[in-house]
Amino acid sequence: MIIKNYKTLKSTNLKARELAQKGADPWTIVVAEEQTGGYGRKKTAWSSPKDGLYFSIILPKSNIDDLQTLTILAAFICAKTIKENFNLEPFIKLPNDIWINGKKVAGILTENIIGKDVKLSVMGIGLNTNIAKLPQDLENIATSLRIELGKEVDNQKILEQIIKALKEQLKTISE
Amino acid sequence: MQTTIKIGDKIYQIEISEAEENLLKVKVNNKEYFFTKNELSESNLDDFCAKALDKETKENGVVFRERIEKEIKSPLAGTISSIAVKIGERLKPGKKVATLIAMKMENEIVSEGYGKIKEIKVKENQFVDSGDTLIILE
Repeated sequence: MIIKNYKTLKSTNLKARELAQKGADPWTIVVAEEQTGGYGRKKTAWSSPKDGLYFSIILPKSNIDDLQTLTILAAFICAKTIKENFNLEPFIKLPNDIWINGKKVAGILTENIIGKDVKLSVMGIGLNTNIAKLPQDLENIATSLRIELGKEVDNQKILEQIIKALKEQLKTISE
Repeated sequence: MQTTIKIGDKIYQIEISEAEENLLKVKVNNKEYFFTKNELSESNLDDFCAKALDKETKENGVVFRERIEKEIKSPLAGTISSIAVKIGERLKPGKKVATLIAMKMENEIVSEGYGKIKEIKVKENQFVDSGDTLIILE
């Protein structure tokens, strides 16, 4: 596993795609302290201020039939990591969001390039970890682990746990 | 002008030079093919490569299935969120033709070969099944 840390990126998914197209190995992880153009599905903005955990994974190429399980698998792993570490009750809003107490805390965006087979597969995960205060327009719909717990969490530990679990689970469906 | 093209597992070294006035030489893996400039209606490198490969295909009776595309099918079920090409457009390997959303994943569907678009069978926001034809090529 190679972890590439950046201070600021427009989007970790875009950087991961760029690196993958230049030949970066599967399980290269792109981490940014903040994203200036983080996005979710249909390019809707994903607020990514400092103190969150934003990363993208260059995935090994799966079979086309297995692609649809990737996001759900990652959502399950993120929720499980939150539950086991912090005794919170995350709720998976299938297939790609995680909520706590009725507010969004994490989102997953998997992007693939497909011809007759999968050419490239990148999964981006945005997890509101240590954000002390969310932008006003998001306060009622989003939360962070810090807000829920009243204390900071270890971003690096969470990152490593999620990647390790994902790697373990994907072994069975990837090359 | 030199370039390398990979089709399937095969790698083609392609070199284009002007043999004489109005005559272009296209070398594909050390085999030489000649074209008058009029034969090449469009002057970009991809077209040179496509036509040179066409000649090699015909002369050697080799069929590169990955390259000769008649249609592009949807690799999975989902909703077409955008179409990135137009009728009449020439495709080359790797060219994005559409984006399909399935299970909230964004999937760029790309061409595997060369071809010219004859018909686009789907519209934006249309649901497609895996295997449905998206694009028909000439």
